[in-house]
Amino acid sequence: MKILIVEDEIELLDSMTTYLKNEDFICESASSFFDAEDKIISFGYDIIILDITLPDGSGLNLLELIKEQSSKTGVLIVSAKNSLDDKLKGLDLGADDYITKPFHLAELNSRINSLIRRRNFDGDDSSIQFNEINIDPSSKTVTIHGKHMELTKKEYNLLLYFITNKNKVLTKESIAEHLWGDDIEMADSYDFIYTHMGNLRKKIKKLEGTDYLQTMYGLGYKFTDVEK
Amino acid sequence: MKLIRKTGRTYLWLSIIIFILSGAILIFVLTNVMNNRLDNQLFYNKEIVAKRVKYDVPLTIFEEPEELNEAENKLYPKDTIIYKDTLILRLIQGEGVDEFEKYRQLTSYETLQGVRYKIIARNSLVRNQDFIWVILITTFIIILLLLSGLWILNTQISKKIWKPFYTNIDKLKNFSIQNQNTIELVPSDIDEFKELNTSIKSLTQKLQSDFNNLKEFSENASHEMQTPLAIMKSKIELLLQSSDLTKEQSEQLQSIYQAGNRLSKLNKTLLLLAKVENQQFSNKEEVSFKKLIEKSLENYEDFIINKNITIQTELSDHISSANTILVDTLISNLLSNAIKHNIPNGKINITYTKDTLIFSNTGKPLKGDPKNLFNRFKKESTLKDSLGLGLAIIKQICDVNNWQLNYSCEKEIHTISVIF
Repeated sequence: MKILIVEDEIELLDSMTTYLKNEDFICESASSFFDAEDKIISFGYDIIILDITLPDGSGLNLLELIKEQSSKTGVLIVSAKNSLDDKLKGLDLGADDYITKPFHLAELNSRINSLIRRRNFDGDDSSIQFNEINIDPSSKTVTIHGKHMELTKKEYNLLLYFITNKNKVLTKESIAEHLWGDDIEMADSYDFIYTHMGNLRKKIKKLEGTDYLQTMYGLGYKFTDVEK
Repeated sequence: MKLIRKTGRTYLWLSIIIFILSGAILIFVLTNVMNNRLDNQLFYNKEIVAKRVKYDVPLTIFEEPEELNEAENKLYPKDTIIYKDTLILRLIQGEGVDEFEKYRQLTSYETLQGVRYKIIARNSLVRNQDFIWVILITTFIIILLLLSGLWILNTQISKKIWKPFYTNIDKLKNFSIQNQNTIELVPSDIDEFKELNTSIKSLTQKLQSDFNNLKEFSENASHEMQTPLAIMKSKIELLLQSSDLTKEQSEQLQSIYQAGNRLSKLNKTLLLLAKVENQQFSNKEEVSFKKLIEKSLENYEDFIINKNITIQTELSDHISSANTILVDTLISNLLSNAIKHNIPNGKINITYTKDTLIFSNTGKPLKGDPKNLFNRFKKESTLKDSLGLGLAIIKQICDVNNWQLNYSCEKEIHTISVIF
């Protein structure tokens, strides 16, 4: 998967590139409108992460260019402005998703993966395999050792989030935001993560799956098959 | 006191003073002129008497002349003429009343054919006084007519002149800085009012532009803060991934991370407040409150189950015209507030009708002043993650929509109602 990240804040660009490279994506970056335009015309990308507020032009114009070049490219808009207008305009012009700054890198990765899955939907087998766990996003079903696993909507989202960001520490904040959206300002939301996590563990164990969930001090959790 | 009364009163006092003064002057001048005329008359009469004495014509109409006493003779050795006013007792016939009447009197001492004479000529002043009174009363009536005429004219004119002024005052009273409409003042052709209107216009324009600048500033400041926050968060998240962190290091990282998250949530909320305030959610769509409430309940399901809260709803299917995002935020905040400040095994009642939206929940009694409840950063709970902005958002949303927001608390049941 080839990704172009267009972002004028070098530091943020750097973080995004590092995280996504770790996820085995081929990442290229552009920090200006001019730079991005050049790269979009010259090379093809599967996914473009686009900051719409660039110092030398609007990302929305780049979006038009991207769609002219190749309609297959998935576009994820990143914006500091959480404005509905921008969102609607972006989605109208053919962007696939929209994420507002500041975001969790794990959330960004999860959005990119879901975007890739949607793009490949009609194509090959879109199921996600992690050792004995198999997730079929099209039917939202999970099997362990081929046996069907009964999950609630939140547990399913949680498992998918973990597997998409496998081997990564996921903070409680990022999990809470992923599950309930970022509007929820609830002190006890972390307790629920704990509850959901416990349920998920139990269900995996019941189907004789391995418990891949590791607790990282008070920080969060990691879904990994690599021993500490 | 109204300006018209104030000036009117001043004019009245001035008129009274002028009237008194002019009356005095009039009396003085008229008396002088009349006395002059009378004096001439008296002099003429005295001359006749003198001539008669001189040419020895008998003065039949007079009583026997009195002789001049020595004292008078000594006092006026030469020919002298004295004019004076004098009161003489007179019996008015038939009425039996003695009355003093004012007379103008001429006394002349002179020598006629070698004999000293004192000739007195008098004329009654009663008629003159009557005359002066008539003049005075007439003047008074004229002045009174003039004054009342002016007064009526003045009030009528000022009613007309001041009308735009009062209309403009009403407009100013209704002026709201939140409202972006510029103030439309009734024009006037009077210089002072024109000047006032221009001043008001420029003042309100300046107020509005300052207010807008301030609002824009807070919005922009919030925007600008998002990027550094995003960098901060992303860097910490990357750092968290490194496997060789000690427990202490990750605990410290966690503190930084949580503070960063808190800051970014605060910033997002302030941005939302600024946007609501800046009327960025002004487009109205058809909104089903019922659907949004049900969606919110589903979203908060975990929290409701956890506290074992019983929810009772009574929701009308009414579709109203409002901004979906605002209504959604309003409901979400009301519900989150009702859950957050609830007690375990508590209750929440949600009622929605065409005109009202009521959230009531069980909870501990309020410690602070309910008036401050909707102010920003007023925290009632000690919950560490509470920003104290939820109710401020609710208030702001109600304000921009002109909805009435009420809070009441009775027997540990807190009720927040929105009246559309």
